[in-house]
Amino acid sequence: MTDAVRVESLYRTYDAGTPVTALDGVSAAFAAGTFTAVMGPSGSGKSTLLQCAAGLDRPSAGRVFLGGVELTATGDTAMTKFRRERAGFVFQDYNLLSALTVEQNVVLPLRLAGRRPDRGRVRAVLGTLGLTERAGELPERLSGGQRQRVAVARALVGEPAVIFADEPTGALDLRSAREVLALLRTAVRDFGRTVIMVTHDPMAAAYADTVLFLADGRLAGQLSAPTPEAVAAHLTELVAA
Amino acid sequence: MIAIALRTLRHRPGGFAATFLSAFLGASLLMAFASLLDTAAGADEASAESLGTTASVAGGWCLVIVVFAVTSTLSLAVRQRGEQFAVLRRAGATGPQLRRMIVGEAVAVAVLAAAVAVPVGLASGRVLLGLLKDTGQVAEGVGYAFGPVALAAGFGVTLVGAVIAGFATSRRTSRMGVKRERPRARRIAAGLFLGAAAGCAVLTATVMDGKGIDAMQTAGQAGIWGSIGLALLAPELLRLTGSGGQLASAVMPVTLFSGIATGTVYMQGIEDDAAAGQIRPDYARDIQTLNYVVVGMITVFVAIMLVNTLIAATVHRRREFAQLRLAGATRGQVTTMVAGEALRVTVTGILAGSAASLFTILPFGSARTGEIWPSATIAPYAVIAAIAVLLTATATLGTTRRSIRGPALLRA
Repeated sequence: MTDAVRVESLYRTYDAGTPVTALDGVSAAFAAGTFTAVMGPSGSGKSTLLQCAAGLDRPSAGRVFLGGVELTATGDTAMTKFRRERAGFVFQDYNLLSALTVEQNVVLPLRLAGRRPDRGRVRAVLGTLGLTERAGELPERLSGGQRQRVAVARALVGEPAVIFADEPTGALDLRSAREVLALLRTAVRDFGRTVIMVTHDPMAAAYADTVLFLADGRLAGQLSAPTPEAVAAHLTELVAA
Repeated sequence: MIAIALRTLRHRPGGFAATFLSAFLGASLLMAFASLLDTAAGADEASAESLGTTASVAGGWCLVIVVFAVTSTLSLAVRQRGEQFAVLRRAGATGPQLRRMIVGEAVAVAVLAAAVAVPVGLASGRVLLGLLKDTGQVAEGVGYAFGPVALAAGFGVTLVGAVIAGFATSRRTSRMGVKRERPRARRIAAGLFLGAAAGCAVLTATVMDGKGIDAMQTAGQAGIWGSIGLALLAPELLRLTGSGGQLASAVMPVTLFSGIATGTVYMQGIEDDAAAGQIRPDYARDIQTLNYVVVGMITVFVAIMLVNTLIAATVHRRREFAQLRLAGATRGQVTTMVAGEALRVTVTGILAGSAASLFTILPFGSARTGEIWPSATIAPYAVIAAIAVLLTATATLGTTRRSIRGPALLRA
């Protein structure tokens, strides 16, 4: 079986006066139908890894495969087109367009891809996320938890193979956070999606099948069937090291 | 993409107010001057020549200012929505899609602005013709015409300007990853404009020496190019006075305004002194009228552009003000801080504009009277500086006060 996402020897350096190395040779494979959390101290490169794997950023060196196709070999426009066919995104700050209604935000990636949204499918997704009543409203009238559910709906509606989530619960209260995590969990278990999630919260990471740890731009361990306590213990070790 | 663009326009029409206004004023001015060419088609030879000169000289100046104003306001409007474009990018919009969207918005605004400008351009053209008749440059019997030239110039220039501005702005925005301002292109452009200014100045002082009033053409241009060149260097000039580049967009219009207004008014002053008691060629009055009309129009135009830029810049900082208030700053402290910034903007702009106006004044004085430094009074300069201060202060403080009214809560 091909991996949903595979990265090979990823390097990413930023030129900020003195060069900063965010990724220092990371290789990892994410099997289809799994839920992986990526954790690490701040500055460990976890967000950069996600952005490179998702085709939002371009690594300085190394290769990224999405569904067996090498993303890093294509140009900017082709990469965007490929990404919007295969991947969905959930970000900490929701990333909704304030000028568009909930429903319009949800179908935006489909529209951008020139696909006609299937009304029934859109309704079903909005219904699953408890947003049916809110479909015609602008994001500014929603709470943080509702906004993040809109973002999850947007990530799900195109039926992408992979969902990338960058601190999806970072701005949410406990209850909303649990809802969003349960939704991601359901997407994996019931619909066979692959979820890769960056988080700093051991409670959130415990929803995943596997936790991947990063420190200083390198892989620093892995945990299967994680519990919040085990994750927290491993993190403490990393920070102390 | 166009549908999304139009929806955004409807949702946030305020963000495009400055672009709309500068495109509208620009189209009005261009139509007014271009209608003189329509009028010339049905006039006698002498009148037609006079109309042609007025249209091409004044219209040409307007053209430059219009393109500059539309570009700068549009790029400001787009930059303010940088976050929105980043969101679209992450939602899967490709670079070309974003480009189409930005250009589409610009074109929509330009078409609307040009359409609204038709009646205003028509009326202003009529007033212009009246002025030319009053001063005897155009025969009484010539009838006003507003036709294809006016419409083509108004719509054509505004649209082409908007498309170019849209493309230029979107090239920066649609790139992935961290976007950075590229000062090199701007500095090169500034250098070219300053070079053109110096060239015109040298030409005025040498070739045009002794040519009398004709030296005005090159001298006037020198000042305009100089003003644009220095306006483009606004971030560097601000750094000289020790403040950040954030205020640069506000320094530009102040520089343009004080540079062009000071240069043209003093140039006309020198001319009037030099010609006192002499027999002047017929078209001298022509040019005098024209100079004041152009200064008046450009003043109004640049003034509105200035106010809009400042309002846009201040509104953009609403969040920053809110954070300052949350951190414990009183409303008075925020206002004082903004007033201080406004003062720096005004002083920097006026100084740069004064320097630019010397490109006009010095060589023209040398060519026309043999004296490099004019013996004119400081009064007009003081008036121009006062107008600049008044405009900047009103716009900045008015907007700031509005955006910090009420409690210190953060508003999205």
